[in-house]
Amino acid sequence: MSATAVLQAPLRRKSRLGGRVRIAAGLVACLIFLFPVFWMVLSSFKDQRDIFTVPPTLFFTPTLETYFGFMQRADITRRLINTIIVATGSGLLSIAAGAMAGYALARIRLKGAGTIGVLILLSRGVPPIALAVPMFLVARSLGVTDKHITLILAYCTFLIPYVMWLMRGFFLALPRELEESAMIDGCSRFGAFFKIILPISLPGLLSTLIFSMILAWEELLFALVLTNRYASTIPVAIAGIAGDTVNGANWGALTAVGTITVVPVVIFALLVQKWLIQGLADGATKG
Amino acid sequence: MTTTAAMAGERKPRSRTATRLADAVSRWAFMAPAAIILAAMLAYPIFYTIEISFSRFDLMTFSAVEWVGWQNYAHVLDDYRFWSSMKVTLVYLVFALPLQIVLGFGIAFLINAEWRGRGLVRALFIIPMVVAPVVAGGIWRMILDPLWGIVNWLIGLAGFAPLDWFGDPTLAMAAIVIIDTWRWTPFVVLIATAALLALPRDIFEAAEIDGANWWSMLWSITLPLLVPIIAATFVVRWLGAVKMFDIALAATYGGPGGATNVINLFIYEEAFRSLHFAESAAMAVVVLVLTMVLTGIFLYGTRKLEERN
Repeated sequence: MSATAVLQAPLRRKSRLGGRVRIAAGLVACLIFLFPVFWMVLSSFKDQRDIFTVPPTLFFTPTLETYFGFMQRADITRRLINTIIVATGSGLLSIAAGAMAGYALARIRLKGAGTIGVLILLSRGVPPIALAVPMFLVARSLGVTDKHITLILAYCTFLIPYVMWLMRGFFLALPRELEESAMIDGCSRFGAFFKIILPISLPGLLSTLIFSMILAWEELLFALVLTNRYASTIPVAIAGIAGDTVNGANWGALTAVGTITVVPVVIFALLVQKWLIQGLADGATKG
Repeated sequence: MTTTAAMAGERKPRSRTATRLADAVSRWAFMAPAAIILAAMLAYPIFYTIEISFSRFDLMTFSAVEWVGWQNYAHVLDDYRFWSSMKVTLVYLVFALPLQIVLGFGIAFLINAEWRGRGLVRALFIIPMVVAPVVAGGIWRMILDPLWGIVNWLIGLAGFAPLDWFGDPTLAMAAIVIIDTWRWTPFVVLIATAALLALPRDIFEAAEIDGANWWSMLWSITLPLLVPIIAATFVVRWLGAVKMFDIALAATYGGPGGATNVINLFIYEEAFRSLHFAESAAMAVVVLVLTMVLTGIFLYGTRKLEERN
């Protein structure tokens, strides 16, 4: 009996049928939510003829045509590499800066830490479009548009506050004695943080890092504004395909590139699903 | 260990002020990297936006040249397209957020039934959540296509006339809400499952012994206990939803006739297509202030709810 039993205890008393109906309804909901992803992956293996048919086909001869055709045309590979660079770079940078700042908020008495905390929370409400215009103008005058580092720093604007807040909650939950005893033993503040606190926070750090990388991986607005050819990412390509009104709906390209974008993230997310769910729950309750 | 011991040893001979200074430096050193990046990339751009919003923007030199006071704001507030975008955004928020919260908690209740597949089902709900919003917009555009889409085919099977999802203003807004709900409900489901699992068991057992029925338990025990987490989930979703951009761009591009032109998309178009940087900056500031105020109110509200429990 787990804690959920509380909610179904009355149901069980009524009948076992109630529980079955509930499970079935839950399963149906799950399948409905999975269907679009399934449909995208399935359609990516269809040729044009099989995509544009009524009724929609479930059985067809699978082909990799769209993958090969499209990968060559729109230099998707380069965009993929760009997206990986930017997601990894901004993920690592924001976890490093964010975890330290989160620790400072949680444990080190700083004058004005409370104000900083409120500012960070509020900053999560800043609409990215309010940053995109000046960032574009500044990047343009400095000549740093279309560079990976620009995008990495731009992504830090939403990743660092997120990491900071999440890690702050994580550090608050750790027993204070940990660093206190380390510092009595002669550790500096940095020593205590890097040698004692970081190793035990590894699960939290890792799930936060993964989540940050996913957020960076999906980002569209800054990528649209700050890059054009050299450092452009996958979401920009997808926006281009989806919004291509000249050639009409190129669903083959859309589903193929969509699948390439989504599948690695899904695999990654499912591998660490336990931590991810925990991180989400913490992010909402402690955030 | 040796290095830290050495560092501690070094500190001893120094004077008290030096020690205190070193201490302050080591305190602030933790905050410094984040503070510097955020100051340069977050605070500075906001001030620059404010400056542009009060200036005439010269497209030759690509900079703010002369102070014009509230002129840009007056232009913007006079522009019916701005108000229509604000209205579109409001409609989207009013429909999407409650729908996602209710659906999310409802589905969480369903899948939390005790059975073998529970963990698997919960894990599967991660999948829609990590689909990039722009991809979500794109694939739903295919699924809802009036001619070839599978949804209209199903509607036809049920004996109804096909719906023109992206041609009719109301249906296009419905489509945006559906897509957004599809993308974000799983997020609420995952938070809600954790919240439901964390509910204290003994209260329910006691209530059951007292003869409380299912409905009154839900209404007078479960919901009140869940109120803080529902409020927190709402705030997190609000923070995401006010940034709505990707899905609208990929699915409808604001169409038909601006019916789904959410404010972020409108500002983006005004700035980067029409090159009206000053007006876009003014709009961005208006949106920024509104979001900040509302976010502040919501955060204050959640704090109060948490303290009450």
